[in-house]
Amino acid sequence: MTAEQGGLGVGASLRRKEDARFLHGRGRFVGDITRPGMLEVAFLRSPVAHAKLRSVTKPAGAEKSVFTLADLPGVQTIRANSALPGFRVSEQPALAKGKLRHVGEAIAACVAETRAEAEDLAGACVLDYEALPAVHDMLAAPLPTSPLVHEAWSMNAFLETRRDDDVSGLDAIAVAKVTRTLRTSRQCMAPIEGRGVLAEWDPRLEQMIVTTSTQMPHVTKTGLADCLGLDEGQVRIVSPDVGGGFGYKGILLPEEIVCASLAMQLGRPVRWLEDRYEQLTASANCREHHYVITAWADREGKLLGVECEATVDAGAYSSYPFGACLEAAQVGSILPGPYILPLLRCHTISACTNKPPILPYRGVARTGVCYAMETTLDALARKLGISAEAIRLANLVPPNAMPYRNLVGKVFDSGDYPESLRRAVAAFDLDTIRARQARGEVVGFGLATFCEQGAHGTSVYHAWGIPFVPGFEQAHVRLSPDGVLEVRVGVHSHGQGMETTLAQVAHEILGVHPDKVRVVHGDTALTPYSTGTWGSRAMVMAGGAVAEACRQLAERVGAIGAALLQVAATDVEVIGGMVRRRDNDGAVSIADVARTWYRAPQNLPPGVNKGGLEVTAGYRPDPDTGTHSYACHAAVVRVDTETGAVVIEDYLIVEDGGKLVNPMIVDGQVLGGLAQGIGTALYEEMPYDAAGQPLAATLADYLLPGTSDVPDVRLDHMETLSPWTTFGQKGIGESGAIGPPGAIVNAINDALAPLGAEVTDLPASPPRVLAAIQAAQAARR
Amino acid sequence: MKKITISLTVNGEPRQVLAEPREQLVDLLRRELMLTGTHVGCEHGVCGACTVEIDGAPARSCISHAGSCDGASVRTIEGFGEDAVMADLREAFSHEHALQCGYCTPGMLVVARDVVLRLPEADEARVREEMAGNLCRCTGYRGIVRAVLRVLAARRLHA
Repeated sequence: MTAEQGGLGVGASLRRKEDARFLHGRGRFVGDITRPGMLEVAFLRSPVAHAKLRSVTKPAGAEKSVFTLADLPGVQTIRANSALPGFRVSEQPALAKGKLRHVGEAIAACVAETRAEAEDLAGACVLDYEALPAVHDMLAAPLPTSPLVHEAWSMNAFLETRRDDDVSGLDAIAVAKVTRTLRTSRQCMAPIEGRGVLAEWDPRLEQMIVTTSTQMPHVTKTGLADCLGLDEGQVRIVSPDVGGGFGYKGILLPEEIVCASLAMQLGRPVRWLEDRYEQLTASANCREHHYVITAWADREGKLLGVECEATVDAGAYSSYPFGACLEAAQVGSILPGPYILPLLRCHTISACTNKPPILPYRGVARTGVCYAMETTLDALARKLGISAEAIRLANLVPPNAMPYRNLVGKVFDSGDYPESLRRAVAAFDLDTIRARQARGEVVGFGLATFCEQGAHGTSVYHAWGIPFVPGFEQAHVRLSPDGVLEVRVGVHSHGQGMETTLAQVAHEILGVHPDKVRVVHGDTALTPYSTGTWGSRAMVMAGGAVAEACRQLAERVGAIGAALLQVAATDVEVIGGMVRRRDNDGAVSIADVARTWYRAPQNLPPGVNKGGLEVTAGYRPDPDTGTHSYACHAAVVRVDTETGAVVIEDYLIVEDGGKLVNPMIVDGQVLGGLAQGIGTALYEEMPYDAAGQPLAATLADYLLPGTSDVPDVRLDHMETLSPWTTFGQKGIGESGAIGPPGAIVNAINDALAPLGAEVTDLPASPPRVLAAIQAAQAARR
Repeated sequence: MKKITISLTVNGEPRQVLAEPREQLVDLLRRELMLTGTHVGCEHGVCGACTVEIDGAPARSCISHAGSCDGASVRTIEGFGEDAVMADLREAFSHEHALQCGYCTPGMLVVARDVVLRLPEADEARVREEMAGNLCRCTGYRGIVRAVLRVLAARRLHA
């Protein structure tokens, strides 16, 4: 490999190709795009959490500008069913049908020349409804006394799952046993760009073109075609620049269906842009878990077993495509974390409530599960009188056990989990922290270790029976006559910098300069089918597919180049953007080969591959049980016992993502995830009142971490290759968001230990910290 | 709704536009003047994505009534073409990976430029305080803070 290759290919912190347009305000987001004759939509949304909808009276004179479900003929309901036994089916109408099931549910679409006028129309509609008691608490929801969100159901639960290892003998043999009741709050993912949809009907192509801010254009296309009764060829999804996703844009939206239906009906382009009020009140939709967890350990802290009763608030409907159970049903399989666990008894409920339907947010269940496991481990350690480090070292899967299959069947591919912990602890001066504690300072040190399954595919998801089981990922590569390489992928970037990283992958194989690689994504008309960007899968799956396509292209390029060099194909190699004779006696550039194929075909060798310089290749790791990146998060916090405020004094992450295709971008992913994890740990919370009303309607109420809240984190990398992926890379997009609640709350509880206080609920906001201190004081009296 | 005429200078060009009295500056910029580099984030003045310069100072264009900007001079992200500080910031933002999705970036840059010019001696704590009114959901802020510090340090070196 030449020095130049080392500087631009896999492993290089190449600056991002996409930066320039954003830095000059030339990004193109849905809201930046207009069409002649375009109409704007404002939705009339439910003001109540639960009601029978009797009627909508449209404003006089504007009847034709207000559309209820009855005005959208042929539109089908959204169904995202699971094949798991016992799953209860919810049907989500694009606009409310007879019943209102959460605040913010869309009831009618109001259409006008401007959004302001459309909002005027929405405000002038009169709703007649009969309010019903709302089910806002996930623990009360499944009780027989609770009103039913879906009348035909027997209880408010999408699904229950059970794993029933016998833990009844553990009380007799365990040295320590702890039980904790823990809770996390409902959050809003809150990308700075909200959702946005621009739908237009192309009468020439007889095609619905929907420009929408989505992470999964192809899945949206399939779902939208289903709901509109169109052939998939009649739907094209364009996803331009996406202003943050995190899972929030991994969904088929009711609003997409409505806008598309309106555009067909009205013969004019129709656009809806979500505003922040809508986002917070209608789409706070993630992370709300409750655990009662018991763990048993021996004298050294080795886990003997865990028992867990987990409830996840799944909201009112099952969203497409991931469904209502993606978090709760995974709790049991994620709970063992990176540890060797002999026994697990776990019961989960995906509770159905009068709240917005759950979406999988960065970390997907892991953030809550890691929080539960890590705080429980610390409680065990305190009981045993051993350190947080010791209890983890007693249980982490050792490197010589890799690949390791745990008790629930998860297969860890590679890594040295204990080393990440040792490196993290070694980076802190614990003696100083203990000395400060001895002086009465309320400071603490906390750890969280975890692993993140990423890029898991068919072998994992088929058991779920969700509408989309990921399979092979395809990439299409095409050399242009001028030697520029186009790379087409069906995954879509929403900040991950794939225009750069996939160009690095192509460069790694072909040696074409990344500036001469054009990554095309975000348009179903231009890219191969893909289940999209989620589950930390893009760099493993699309990266692998691009590499495979480039390798196949290299063979074709090599064969033509060899003919031009008048040697056998076996006597050349494609390297550094050139076809070189192995004896170093001559070379032609890939651009020369491209020119020959397109413009001087008389010079092509006989028997040349007729497929030319375009290749579509598929890729799936074998096995596709997923990569496991892992990390140790460590935090030092200071707690103000007067105000309850928590300050993060120091934070370190030791992370192993396998081969880092672009270390700078990986750091960015980890740091961005960390900031969101700090939000989960300390700030973010959508409270609901007893009527199911969301109480944080602005960003002054719903607190997102700012520059002053996220410390200048220390990052340390290990690099253990995955044996199953193209370059040894592992999915790592979500990892940063998983560890912070565990590490931070463990640090808080370490600080509060002298007071006998322990925080159990997230976020560990000042009122909760104070409540924990007061409860401890009360218990002492 | 009755419209009013607003005269203002945008990115150095005198402009006369019609707007509804209830309209905010950001909508005027984006719709009437097609300056879509200024983004709408929260529409209630918290997130900072819509920050532009009004008469030389950063301001939230989502809560600045268009009508009240009559006679004002407005500069948006598209209007910093030759500005040396902005060029340095753009370079530093890319170098420090201070942007991912790019949505908050224009507002960040307008505020960052103000910080660099107004507080040449600012340290990290001060930069974090000054930038606290602009939310980013992608980066975790480290790159942003480091980019601003980088430009400040370079300017001190060459002062």
